[in-house]
Amino acid sequence: MKFPYKTIASVVALGMVAVSTPAYAFPDGPVEFVIPFGAGGGADIEGRLLAKEMSNILGVPFVPVNKPGGGGAITYTYITNAKPDGHTIAWNSTSVLTTTNLGNTEFEYDAMDHIGRVEFQPQPFVVKGDAKWNTFAEFVDDCKAAPNTLKIANSGTGSSTHAAAIMLMNAAGCEVVHLPKGIKGRNKSVLNGEADAMIAPLTGAVNLTNAGKLKILVMPTAERSPIFPDVPTAKELGYEAELDLFRGLSVPKGTPDDVKMKLADAMAKAAKSDAFMELATAKGFTVSPTGYEEFSAYLADEDSKVKEIFKESGLYKSK
Amino acid sequence: MNPDILSGLGQSTALLPLLSTCIGVLAGLIVGMIPGLTISTGIIVVLPVTFVLPPDISIALLLGLYVGGMTGGSFSAVLLNIPGTPSASATGIDGFPLSSRGEAGRALGVAITASFVGGLFSFVCLLLIAPLLAEIALEFRSEDMFSLVFFGLTIICSFAARSLVKGLLSGALGLALVTIGQDPVMGTQRFTFGEANLMAGVSFLTALIGLFAIPQIIDNLVNKDRVKFAQTKVRSVFPKLRDLIAIRIPVFIGSFTGAFLGILPGAGGPIAAFISYDYSRKASKEPEQFGKGSVEGVAAPESANNAVTGGALIPMMTLGIPGDPVTAILIGALIVHGLAPGPLLFLERGDFAYSMIFSFFWANIFNFIIAILGVRFLVKLVAAPRALLMPTVAVLCVVGSYALRNNFFDVYVMLFFGCLGLAMRWLDMPVVPMLLALVLGRQLEENLRVALVASQGDVSVFFTSPISLTFLCLSALSIVWSLKTAGKQNQTNPKEPKS
Repeated sequence: MKFPYKTIASVVALGMVAVSTPAYAFPDGPVEFVIPFGAGGGADIEGRLLAKEMSNILGVPFVPVNKPGGGGAITYTYITNAKPDGHTIAWNSTSVLTTTNLGNTEFEYDAMDHIGRVEFQPQPFVVKGDAKWNTFAEFVDDCKAAPNTLKIANSGTGSSTHAAAIMLMNAAGCEVVHLPKGIKGRNKSVLNGEADAMIAPLTGAVNLTNAGKLKILVMPTAERSPIFPDVPTAKELGYEAELDLFRGLSVPKGTPDDVKMKLADAMAKAAKSDAFMELATAKGFTVSPTGYEEFSAYLADEDSKVKEIFKESGLYKSK
Repeated sequence: MNPDILSGLGQSTALLPLLSTCIGVLAGLIVGMIPGLTISTGIIVVLPVTFVLPPDISIALLLGLYVGGMTGGSFSAVLLNIPGTPSASATGIDGFPLSSRGEAGRALGVAITASFVGGLFSFVCLLLIAPLLAEIALEFRSEDMFSLVFFGLTIICSFAARSLVKGLLSGALGLALVTIGQDPVMGTQRFTFGEANLMAGVSFLTALIGLFAIPQIIDNLVNKDRVKFAQTKVRSVFPKLRDLIAIRIPVFIGSFTGAFLGILPGAGGPIAAFISYDYSRKASKEPEQFGKGSVEGVAAPESANNAVTGGALIPMMTLGIPGDPVTAILIGALIVHGLAPGPLLFLERGDFAYSMIFSFFWANIFNFIIAILGVRFLVKLVAAPRALLMPTVAVLCVVGSYALRNNFFDVYVMLFFGCLGLAMRWLDMPVVPMLLALVLGRQLEENLRVALVASQGDVSVFFTSPISLTFLCLSALSIVWSLKTAGKQNQTNPKEPKS
C-alpha cells in the first residue's frame, strides 16, 4: 500500500494552522490582568482603570486579579509560568527590578517579555511641614555633622523607595539610619517625628504636602514635577540620583510579536484615555507610554542602577 | 464642624450602604440565632462577597451582621436556653424561664429594646471618643506601638482562663506561624522552604476561616442532637410601658459596662454581659426575681453585649487593635480594601472613617426595626436543618480563602488550619489566643525591631517613652485583672468565651 504522505502532510499542516490560529485571532477570550499588590492601593486603583480602558479598546474583558506577596515575586513567578498567548499579563512596576535583584525570585527581570511603560512618578524626599530644613542642602549639612543619627523612613527593605533613599544618600555622602516603616507607617513616622524624613512615591505624599503637613525638599528624578514645579531635582542640586517608580505591562516570555504589538497599541491608547489621564492628574503620576524598544533600554538602565545600589548596601540577592 | 462628619453621614445614608446594612442585620440576626453558627462564622461566610464590593458597602454589611448577631443570639437563648452566641449566655438565665411560662414575646421585646439602647449608647461613645483617640494615636512611635500591641496581646490571658498553659501555648504557636514569610526589617525569607506562595506569610483571614469554621462544620456533622422548643408561638413582642420603666436601671448599667469593657481589649461580650447582670441584680429592688424570669435580668446582659460592639470598634478603628474576634476579622476586611485601620484612617480617609461610624448607627436602627417586626418569623429558622446549612458554609470557606488573594495555595493553608483547629479542640486548647497572635504578631515584631533599629539597639526606649511605659504598666494590670475576672466568670459559666 502506498504510504499516505499527502494525507499526513495535510493533517500536519491543518494541525499547524489550528495551533497557530489563536495567536492570529488575539484576543479570543478574557485576559487575566494580574496586579502584584493588594486591592485598594495605588497599583491596584491605577491598574484596574487601565484594564477597564483596555477592555473597551480590544473588546474582550480584562479581568483584574490581585496576586500580592513577596514584593511582586508571586505575580512575576506566576507570569513566567503562564502560557505565552497574551491572555495573561502583569501590571508591573519598579518592583520587577527590586524583587528580582533581592533574590525573591529565581530569575531576573528579563525572564519575562515587557510590553511598555504606562506611567511613572518621582519618589520625593519629604520632611515634616514644620521641619527646620527648608532645603536639601541644609539637611545634608546636618546629616554630615552627625553621621548615622538622622532617620529616613521607607516603604520596606528592598522596596523602590528604599533603593531611592540609598541612592540619594550615597550621592549626597550622607550616612543615615533607614527605617523600614512600611507603606502605612511611613507617612505617620514623619508626621510624629520618629523619622526625620522619608522617601515616598509622589502619589503617597501629594495630599499631606498640599495640606502643609509635609514638605518636599528634592526629587531624585529627571525633570521637575508639574505638580510641584518649585521643588528642584537632585541633578539640579548636583547629586547623581534618579530613580522613579514606573508601572507598565509584562507578558510571559515567548509571547508572539503580533500579540505584543496589539497589547502595546491598546496599552498606549488606554493610557491616553480621558479617564486614565484624569486619575493621573488627581493622584499625581505622569502618563508617558513608551514602546517596547524604549522600555527595554529603560529597564536595562534602571536594572543596573538597582543592582549597583543593592550590591553596595549588601541587599543584592540577600535571600 | 469637621466636613468629614457630614460627608461620612452622607456616604453611609446612600441607598446601597443602607440596603447592605439591612441585609447584614438580617443575616446577623439569623446566624446569631442559630446555635452552632457564631457571628464569626457569619462574617467569614460573607467575606468573599465583601472583597468585590466597594469598601463602604462591604463594611456596612459587616457592621450590620455584627450588630444583628449580638441581638439574634438572645432569641435562641430565650426560646431554647441555648445561647446562639456566647455573648447571649447570660440572657437565657432569665429569658428562658419567661418563655417557659408563656411570655416569650415579652422577653424578646425587652431583649430587643435593651439591645437597641445599648447599641445607640455605644454609637455615641464611638462618635465622641474615636476621633480624639485617633489624634492621640498619631503621636505613637514604633516603641509605643510595640507596647500597645503587647497590651493588646494580653487579651490572651482572659481567653486562657481554663488552662493558662494551653492558652499561652496557643498564642505562642500563633506567634511562631507569623514568622513565616518575609522578615519585616531585613526583607529576607524565613521558613518559606523555597515556596513562593509562602513569601507573603500566612494570611490571618485564611487561618481564621480554617480555625473557626472547619471545626464547627465537623461539630455539627458529629452532633445530631435535635433541640426542643420551650415555646414556638411568639405573640406580641412590643414591650409594655411597665416593662420599659422596670428595665431603665439595668439598661443604663448594661450600656455603660458594655461600652467601657468593649474599649478594653479582651473583655468582649460574654464578660460584659455577666458583669452587668451581676451589678443589675445588686442594684435591683427585686433581686430575688433574678433567675426566675425577671425582665431586668434579660435587659441587663442584652444592653451590655450590644454596647460592647461600639466600644470594641473604638480601639479597632483608631489603633488597629481588635477588641474581640469579630473586630479582628473586620480589620482584615478593611485591609483587603487598602484601608488599614489606625490613626491615619481618620486623617487620610476621614470621610470613610465617619461613614463607618454612621453605618454602625444605621445598623442599630435597622436592627431594632427588623428584629421587632420580624422576630415572629425569624424564630422559625432556629430549627433550620443543618444538612443544608453546613455544606453551604463549607463551600464558602473554600471560596473565601481562595478569593482573598486569588491563590489556590491559600485553600490548602485554610485546610491545614482547619486540621489544626480540630486538633486544638481535641486537646481542649483555645483558638482565640492563636487568632490574636496571628493578627497582632506581625505588628509586634515589626515595631519591636524598627524601634531597635531607630534606637540603634538601645532597649531602654521602651521604658523612657511615657506612652510606651504606660502601656507596659497597663499590660501588667490587664494580665492580673483578666485572670481574676475570667476566674470569676468560670464559676458562673464554665464555657470558654468565644464570639
